[in-house]
Amino acid sequence: MTNNPPVISVRDLVVGFGEATVLNRASIDVFEGEILGFVGGSGAGKSVLMRAIIGLLPKRHGTVEVFGSDLAALNGRQRRAIEQRWGVLFQQGALFSSLTALQNVQFPMREYLRLSPRLMDEIALAKLEMVGLRADVRGKYPAELSGGMIKRVALARALALDPDIVFLDEPTSGLDPIGAAEFDELIRTLQQTLGLSVFMVTHDLDSLHAVCDRIAVLSEGRVIATGPIEATLASEHPWLRSYFGGKRGRQVQPAARTTRH
Amino acid sequence: MQLLGALVLAVLGTIAHPRRLRFTSIVHHLEKVGWRAVPIIVLSTFMIGAILAQQGIFRFRTFGADMYVVDMVAVLVLREIGVLIVCVMMAGRSGSAYTAEIGSMKMREEIDALRTMGLDPVEVLVLPRVIALVLAVPMLTFLGSMAALYGAGLVCWLYGGMAPQIFIERLREAIWLPTFEVGMIKAPFMALTIGLVACTEGFEVDGSAASLGLKTTASVVKSIFLVIALDGLFALFFAGIGM
Repeated sequence: MTNNPPVISVRDLVVGFGEATVLNRASIDVFEGEILGFVGGSGAGKSVLMRAIIGLLPKRHGTVEVFGSDLAALNGRQRRAIEQRWGVLFQQGALFSSLTALQNVQFPMREYLRLSPRLMDEIALAKLEMVGLRADVRGKYPAELSGGMIKRVALARALALDPDIVFLDEPTSGLDPIGAAEFDELIRTLQQTLGLSVFMVTHDLDSLHAVCDRIAVLSEGRVIATGPIEATLASEHPWLRSYFGGKRGRQVQPAARTTRH
Repeated sequence: MQLLGALVLAVLGTIAHPRRLRFTSIVHHLEKVGWRAVPIIVLSTFMIGAILAQQGIFRFRTFGADMYVVDMVAVLVLREIGVLIVCVMMAGRSGSAYTAEIGSMKMREEIDALRTMGLDPVEVLVLPRVIALVLAVPMLTFLGSMAALYGAGLVCWLYGGMAPQIFIERLREAIWLPTFEVGMIKAPFMALTIGLVACTEGFEVDGSAASLGLKTTASVVKSIFLVIALDGLFALFFAGIGM
């Protein structure tokens, strides 16, 4: 897998707010066709790194390359071309509350593609079906949907333009264990069928075991470890030991082993 | 101020690519801030006009200057009160709604979602709202001023015993076109102020619900204050050019 070229390559990224430096020379690669799980304690700056990559937060130093081009060096048009090749699932879904589920999925298409309304309806319905929703959610507004459904609609919207990279910000947070497991499975299935590269911020240990090809660990503003989960588990780093070696971490490990062997 | 710059850029951008202007959104907001505000605006300005006339008649009668009530009401309403009342109502009604809408979109990361789709929130959210307000406020000012004059005329007739024909005749002598123009010219600038303040405050909302409330309050207070301050500047300006 690591033979593939990196689709995202972050080098020495420094991001801070005022006096505080959240990321201090963080570097990370995401390779084509993999699911990278990005872990770290609460407030460690996982979401900050994701938001800095997609350009929502200004960086103080460092480079972010996506598909081999440095985002800072692009003009508006080139940047929009790249933005169309990624989809983002925000933590709370971030569906547009004034639009129905179907309109939300159609929104990116409406902005970038010239399609007939009928074709757009069909594509959007297909996307909703792809994320496991029934067609009757199409007319519902985000306020009428449950948390799990909102995440699925948001995922459908992130996939609306058939992106190559998907950013997921804590996709399973706020879901019950069954819903979370289903969502993990959905991500895995979609990633395999669509050949996506996935950058997943999470603290869900189950997700890490179930779907991630590699994990990267953020601590004290730097990426302290990357690699397959087994290798990372064996690491001696104190933070990692307490993270995976804690009560909740140990509960997951044996289960993961039995499913893997 | 920063938003004003961004707005100018968005306006230039849409002039260069008129297809990017969100016409549907403008019409939607125009209905919300314009059409649906008509009853409350007309009612309150009608009452203001009636109250001004009643107070005027009550005081002016003691020295036998009943007729000048019409002058007072007409000049006050057309130059100042009409547009101010409309702007205060719009700051409370539409400005607060703008702040709350944009603020809650900010809280729920909807603004970030727009950005990641390569869209400019100023162009998508602010421009249609501000255009709708800039169109709606002059129209409402016109309606409001007429309603206030109607209220004043009614009170003059029923309370002051002044026949409607005399009221209208007196009105013709009391005002000339610039009196009306002064009020109308101010309207779009005040609308722009309200819209910009409301949207700026909306964007400043951070993650918490408390800040949404604070910013909505700040939006209303700031825009009403700025509208009054702007009115003062206009008064100096019009005095300077002799209108």
